Amino acid sequence: MRHYIAKRVGYSVLSLLLLSLTIFLFIRLTGDPASLLTEPGASAADVAAIQHKFGLDRPVWVQYGLFMFNLLRGDLGDSFYYQTPVLELYQSRLPHSLLLGVVAMGFSLVLGIPTGILAAIRVGRFWDSAGKLFALLGLSLPSFLVGLLLILFFSVYLEWLPSSGSGTFWHLLMPAFALGWYFAAAHMRLTRSSMLEVLGSEYVKLARLKGLPEALVIGKHAFKNALIPVLTLAGINLIQMINVAVVVETVFAWPGIGRLLYEGVTFRDFPVVQGVVILGGSMIVVVNLLIDIVYALVDPRIRLEQ
Amino acid sequence: MPMTDNNPPSAVTRRLGLAMLASSLIAGGARDAAAGAQGQMNIAVHISLSPTWFDPSETNSLITPYLLMYGMHDAMMKPMREASPGLSLAESYTMSPDGLTHTFVLRPGLTFHNGDPLTSDDVKFTYERYKGTSAALLRERIASLETPDPRRIVIKLKEVWPDFLLFYTGATGANWIVPRKYIEKVGDAGFRKAPVGAGPYKFVSYDAGLELVLEAFEPYWRKSPSIKRIVMKVVPDEATRLIALKRGEFDFAYSIRGELAAEVQHTPGLSLKVASDGATYWMYFPEQWDAASPWSNPKVRRAAALALDYVAINNALSLGLSRVTSNFIPRHLAFYWPSPPPVYDPAQAVKLLAEAGYPGGFDAGSYHCDSSYANLGEAAVNGLAAVGIKAQLRPLERAAFDKGFTDKRYKKGIIQGSSAAFGNAATRLAVWVVQGGPYVYGSYPEIDALYPLQANELDVGKRTAILHKMQQTIYEKDMFVPLWQLGFINAVGPRVAESGIGLIKGFVYTGPYEDLTLKEK
Repeated sequence: MRHYIAKRVGYSVLSLLLLSLTIFLFIRLTGDPASLLTEPGASAADVAAIQHKFGLDRPVWVQYGLFMFNLLRGDLGDSFYYQTPVLELYQSRLPHSLLLGVVAMGFSLVLGIPTGILAAIRVGRFWDSAGKLFALLGLSLPSFLVGLLLILFFSVYLEWLPSSGSGTFWHLLMPAFALGWYFAAAHMRLTRSSMLEVLGSEYVKLARLKGLPEALVIGKHAFKNALIPVLTLAGINLIQMINVAVVVETVFAWPGIGRLLYEGVTFRDFPVVQGVVILGGSMIVVVNLLIDIVYALVDPRIRLEQ
Repeated sequence: MPMTDNNPPSAVTRRLGLAMLASSLIAGGARDAAAGAQGQMNIAVHISLSPTWFDPSETNSLITPYLLMYGMHDAMMKPMREASPGLSLAESYTMSPDGLTHTFVLRPGLTFHNGDPLTSDDVKFTYERYKGTSAALLRERIASLETPDPRRIVIKLKEVWPDFLLFYTGATGANWIVPRKYIEKVGDAGFRKAPVGAGPYKFVSYDAGLELVLEAFEPYWRKSPSIKRIVMKVVPDEATRLIALKRGEFDFAYSIRGELAAEVQHTPGLSLKVASDGATYWMYFPEQWDAASPWSNPKVRRAAALALDYVAINNALSLGLSRVTSNFIPRHLAFYWPSPPPVYDPAQAVKLLAEAGYPGGFDAGSYHCDSSYANLGEAAVNGLAAVGIKAQLRPLERAAFDKGFTDKRYKKGIIQGSSAAFGNAATRLAVWVVQGGPYVYGSYPEIDALYPLQANELDVGKRTAILHKMQQTIYEKDMFVPLWQLGFINAVGPRVAESGIGLIKGFVYTGPYEDLTLKEK
């Protein structure tokens, strides 16, 4: 088991190293931030002064070395745009994103799981088709469109909800729904397929043969087992909701990490983009590592196969 | 001699200094100390608010920091409603006859928001601390900044510099005064977290990139602000900004364009406020110095200039709120030459092309532009195509486009240039026209030869004549084909009486903040 965990940790560290290198190089391919921090027509001296100030006039490998050195000390650098430590910016936005992510996840599970179950137990019939349509719409409608439609309907026509910003429960509803909508469709699809697999299994057939009530078969025996992959996916999705809700947070002016990432990209704020991607990536890597370890603990075949 | 549009900053003389002194006394007399500030104005801002904008020492070559600086800070002289630059914290300004000594006298009794007195020592500290745009240039040209008494500042130049006032009071943050005592106590980072200035509004709170709250500084020298509190919230999405404005969540929304601006016009209670001193946009032909290229023929460039229906483009893309122009230098800049209005004459364009040897037109290759204004490029490409000049639109995201431009990668085709940088006609010519400029692909010797003649010319009349001659030559050669001077369109809600948009010449954001008012209930 120790060997298995060490190997997994090694893979995780390697993944993070590759992630840091990739984001560091790719963000630099997008161009020079100095040109966004000056008006077109600014003098070459002013542009050069900005490049010098942010260390962009140094060789890339030197910049990467410094970046990694600081990263290992827990320093993600200072934002070019905000002139504030990236970690501080991230921490200030994290509570908003956590709140949005958790409520959006609630929406997605409340919508996705019952719909998925209904589609599975009524497979090939109206509710299944309705579920498929729901999944199709959820996965294909872009979240900015969903967001704008929600604003149009609930803010402009009905005047029930504030159009943007944060601060009250009412501010949270539309962005959480817009964000949860896509994931609800994903959760619905997975629940449906997982339920179908479980409902076709021998032990469910046996339960039915034993004459157990259908509600008990589905609720106790099938649903509990079908839920495992859904919850695993939900865990990973929650991290995505927290870190990359770029469009929803921008449309609703929600002060979260996704918007911070949007700002970082817009202003070519390299430290912000690097910081958000690395922190988000780290969360995913750590969660995956934990899942791997828990799976191995629960199912010895996994660690033995390794 | 009053300071007017035709009398640019460098025209300041002792007589003008006296006139400015008199006007400042009048302004001081008009100070409304009795009025108490009331109410709150909520502003939806289109761009993330950066704390670097709280600190004038950091101003780079962008106009955006002044969006906040006009609220929280104040300068000895700055572009004002009355004059550009006009006296602000300084009650007088004089220049010695030789142009080497510049003396500013501060108003009496000035204080920062924390109650500390504002003195010449703070002015000196501000200048020494300044590290933003053109800091090196200022240090290279200024021999000394002396403070003989708490209200007097004497700046001595190493040599005559006609643009001293432009750079010191207009194009940099070097004279936006910050408090020495406070900064020495809290440090630079502390200052950015809780800035203290001398402007009409004091800092209350800031949520990084999201929200800024300001409160009226009632003892402000010019007049007491009438609005107690200003809350700026960043709403990046344009449609959301408009909806929030319609719902009354905001009183004012920056940057509402195109169809959304048209929607504002149709919404009762809302109105558009346009700052018409925005950036100019133009077509530039990098091949005009290549004898093998059609663009080297002046008739072809004239044909391109005649091919575009400027008024229709303006109406279609900016509701007619931008300005059509035939000079690539913006109208509000000093030494601007008032060029003739642009002409749309496609028949004449076709005729000129035929005379130049291109009866069926020609393939001009790529039309490079910043993707933010690809719609303008598209209109230009369509106009050119209508007379036979075919070009393919190649929009690129701004930074990449700008890098390609300055790296001289667009040697063929057409480039859509633009600039909102500070300066005057001379600084624009240095960057875009004269040999060696960062955006210059080629130059004309007769224009290059004129440039150094004006660089140290203190006689405003002579300098104006030279700079006008340069612009006229550029116009006659069709070196550029200007498309428009962009109107920066904003939307205002029903509670606003004065939005401050367009009050200060050359400034596209709201200001002066102390002039903002809400309607009485």
